[in-house]
Amino acid sequence: MIISTNWLADYVQLPGTVDDLVERLLMSGLNHESTTSVGDDTAVEIEVTSNRPDCLGHVGVAREAAVLFGRPLHVPDPRPLEAGGDAAQSITVEIHSPEICPCYVARVIRGVRVGPSPHWLVDRLATVGIASVNNVVDVTNYVMLESGQPLHAFDLAKIRGGRIVVRRAVDGEAFTAINHKTYALTERMCVIADAEGPVALAGVMGGAETEITVSTTDVLLESAQFAPLPVRAAARGLVLASGSSYRFERGPDPAMVEWSSRRAAALILEIAGGTLEHGRSVAGELACAPAMIRLAAERVGEILGIDVADARQRQILTALGFVEEPGKAPHDHRWRAPTWRRDCWREIDLVEEIARIEGYGRVPEDATIPARPSELSSRERTVRRADEVLVGAGLCEAMTRSVVTESLAAMPSPWGESEPLTISPPLVRGADRLRRSLLPSLLEARGGNVAVGVADADLFEIARAYIAWPGSQSAPASPVEEPLLLAVVVGGDFAHIKGLAEGVFTGLGVSGGAGGSAGAGPRLRYRPLDLEPFVRGRAAEVMLEQAGRPAERVAVMGEVSAAAVDRFGLAGPVVAAELRLDRLEFAVASELSLVKPSDFPAVQRDVNLVVDEAVAWGDVEDAIRLTAGDVLETCRLVQVWEDADRLGAGRKSFVVALTLRSGSGTLSGEEAGRVVDAVVAECGRRVAAVLRG
Amino acid sequence: MTAVPLDSFRAELERLRADAESALSAATDDAALEVARVEFLGARSGRLKAIQKSLGGLAGADKPTGGKQFNEAKNAITASFEAARTRVLSSSGLQGESAIDVTLPGSPVRLGHLHPLTRTIRRVQEIMGRLGFESVDGPEVEDQWHNFEALAIPAEHPARDPLDNFYLAVARGADPLLLRSQTSTVQIRVMENRDPPLRIVSLGRVYRPDTADATHYPMFHQVEGLLVEPGITMAHLKSVLRLFASSFLGGDVHVRFRPSFFPFTEPSVEVDMEWGGRWVEMGGAGMVDPAVLEAVGYDPDTVSGFAFGLGVERIAARRYGVDDIRDFYRNDVRFLRQF
Repeated sequence: MIISTNWLADYVQLPGTVDDLVERLLMSGLNHESTTSVGDDTAVEIEVTSNRPDCLGHVGVAREAAVLFGRPLHVPDPRPLEAGGDAAQSITVEIHSPEICPCYVARVIRGVRVGPSPHWLVDRLATVGIASVNNVVDVTNYVMLESGQPLHAFDLAKIRGGRIVVRRAVDGEAFTAINHKTYALTERMCVIADAEGPVALAGVMGGAETEITVSTTDVLLESAQFAPLPVRAAARGLVLASGSSYRFERGPDPAMVEWSSRRAAALILEIAGGTLEHGRSVAGELACAPAMIRLAAERVGEILGIDVADARQRQILTALGFVEEPGKAPHDHRWRAPTWRRDCWREIDLVEEIARIEGYGRVPEDATIPARPSELSSRERTVRRADEVLVGAGLCEAMTRSVVTESLAAMPSPWGESEPLTISPPLVRGADRLRRSLLPSLLEARGGNVAVGVADADLFEIARAYIAWPGSQSAPASPVEEPLLLAVVVGGDFAHIKGLAEGVFTGLGVSGGAGGSAGAGPRLRYRPLDLEPFVRGRAAEVMLEQAGRPAERVAVMGEVSAAAVDRFGLAGPVVAAELRLDRLEFAVASELSLVKPSDFPAVQRDVNLVVDEAVAWGDVEDAIRLTAGDVLETCRLVQVWEDADRLGAGRKSFVVALTLRSGSGTLSGEEAGRVVDAVVAECGRRVAAVLRG
Repeated sequence: MTAVPLDSFRAELERLRADAESALSAATDDAALEVARVEFLGARSGRLKAIQKSLGGLAGADKPTGGKQFNEAKNAITASFEAARTRVLSSSGLQGESAIDVTLPGSPVRLGHLHPLTRTIRRVQEIMGRLGFESVDGPEVEDQWHNFEALAIPAEHPARDPLDNFYLAVARGADPLLLRSQTSTVQIRVMENRDPPLRIVSLGRVYRPDTADATHYPMFHQVEGLLVEPGITMAHLKSVLRLFASSFLGGDVHVRFRPSFFPFTEPSVEVDMEWGGRWVEMGGAGMVDPAVLEAVGYDPDTVSGFAFGLGVERIAARRYGVDDIRDFYRNDVRFLRQF
């Protein structure tokens, strides 16, 4: 809303400087956007919140200034001279949809001379950024900017059948607006029609056929109430927002319907001449039900934390136009809201009014609140431990969009086979699919870095994905599951990405690899995986196994396929992983159970186990851990060795370094030897391993 | 006892200085350097020490001048000695077997970086955590109740317009679903499940249709605080925000309230904080609207509360001097590695 200070001064004596005015308005709810000199006038642009349509007119802003500066407000009382015929004879008004137009007032002025507006009018409109059209149209704009009530002037001679009908549009009905564009209307919109068809899109824009032109002599002046929804449907649906639609969407002061009609009639008579017919043609009843609000004086202090004296509360509310009604108790006040403040209907609304005018500067900033404990949730701790590991490993955290293009969304998700969910409108052009995995976005981000010459962008991201529940789920809270994912994309080989993933597992307190002694606690099991975008045979899924629960996938990882490297413009070998942090969250919540480090010496034993090349290390490790038991401190794979000449074709050897240590005494060489023998025997039994050398 | 003349004291100093310069510049190895050090700077019988003793023989009035001259000479000789030592060490070092070029680069340790938005969020969480606020998170796909109705945004409210939200093609029965447009949804969820007193910070991604430009992005992050306890007033709100501002920005920062309008708070205010000598708008705040308290089953007559919201991108942009918030989502590591 742009205010002309000259114009404002018609209603209230302004303070010495514009800055003083702007500052007080700013601190009482009318935010300042800009101040610009226009000739001898000043244009002040203010931001009016959607609850304050009363300030979408100069009178309303002047009322605020009058209250803030303690000065009287002068609002004109237009009494245009009526002569000639009877308006109700000249035009009949019917409202077919009172729910979208409660009240319609028409006045008729005959014999006007349409022409240029006087300088004062042209200048005032110019200050607020409105171009002059002609004296009649300018008056309707002027009065709207004065009262906040939109008006419309029709060329009465073009209204067919002497009838105005306010009704819902018919689906597909055509309407040509003042901008000479034709629109197809819907039944959500409201039209002003004459005996034959629409002549205006109610509350939004007039029609081309009935607009005021230099040849117009008789004017039909409309002042009406239109409900917000049909006006918004038309303004947004047809992209036809106007000063009128903006105000009707927020609700002008009902009392201004009649005032504005008289005000505009008086101004038209003054500057365009003509004769105002007697009376008016009216349909409907003005929707105007000011609220009665009870205010307990102590409520103000309870909410604001400051004392505002009873008399001061009364002074503020009275100045704002609230009218006190006698209450039952001395401090129990009842107030009737002014017609222009339909946003005020509860006690809390009055408290805010008092606060706004009294000023929040009085609210102290040194009140104390009692101390209370707080701690990080297990989810928060999970996220932080995971990112500590990855930041420590040299990765940068990325943030990519939750909503992706169809082609990115097409990559299969490790977390569900249902189709991606879609949104409307798209987040950005072409991106309307909720992602089911972060990996495509992160691969794309790495590719974006390659494109700017950075080939080694090692990235991770922690975010949600969105998976549609399969149809048969038993009464889900939401049809959407939002797993919390950690995705990693780095350069390197499988061992590299597995190392990073294991680092995260360890950081979260989930034992990596084949954990601990068998049976106790959760275990992670690696299994081969065939899934885009990984190379077949060089990717794994990680299953979490917990007592009493079915195993579930908690991670996938692998080397990124040549096709994907190509598609995303990557360079060199790239590996990626995605972890379900939500499924790993339990671990940070579990208690640490510390193992006291043993003071007794450790014994090192290396074993070289020859196996068939198909045997997986994981099975060997399981056998070793299970057999060695508590004395096994570490079991480290030193080397995997294949040599057809020495080991035989189709054979390989695992060189394993075992560290054995007892917590209860020094382990003798014989004891260590027995453990190793047992390990070798078990490996022989399970995977046909043979001790070499 | 006759006083030592100042002139002869000074002459002695000059001579010592000249001798030291020539001896030190002639020294080419550790041994020669050590001989020179003992001769001139030796703590027990060095020549400088000897002259220092003769300071006591100067006339009383000459002592300050003499002392000053002595200190100048001492500093000059010490500096010459250090220079000679550096020269000798570096020349001999290059000839030594195990010596290294200490100017060669170290083995690189690649440091990772948290995203600047995460850093900003963590900072807010840390400060609010000290004030007893727990961080909470919730679903991003939301229903009408949590995103609108419980927040006192009725069906006909413009904020619910399909063009102003990202609605999903699927619905839960007749209830349309959308990407949440604010994290207040999480506050509703927490209030529905917990009784006061309550102090939480909800945070995460939110979504609003906006054309991406330097100051807008259709996906962004919010941090919203909520406190509900008996007897809470706007003075508590202002005081907590001032504590927050002082911690976040450093120093004793004041906050300013300007009246505003949000459906779920009343009174509602814009919060300005003093930053770099100016009032900077940091976010919105207000007292939790009684309708919201009722919607979650609280009694507005026995508890009250306040809420505030901060735009993470805006704060981070200002804090780090980022002039285009799209940079936060470009994932260019040349940008990310600077944080």
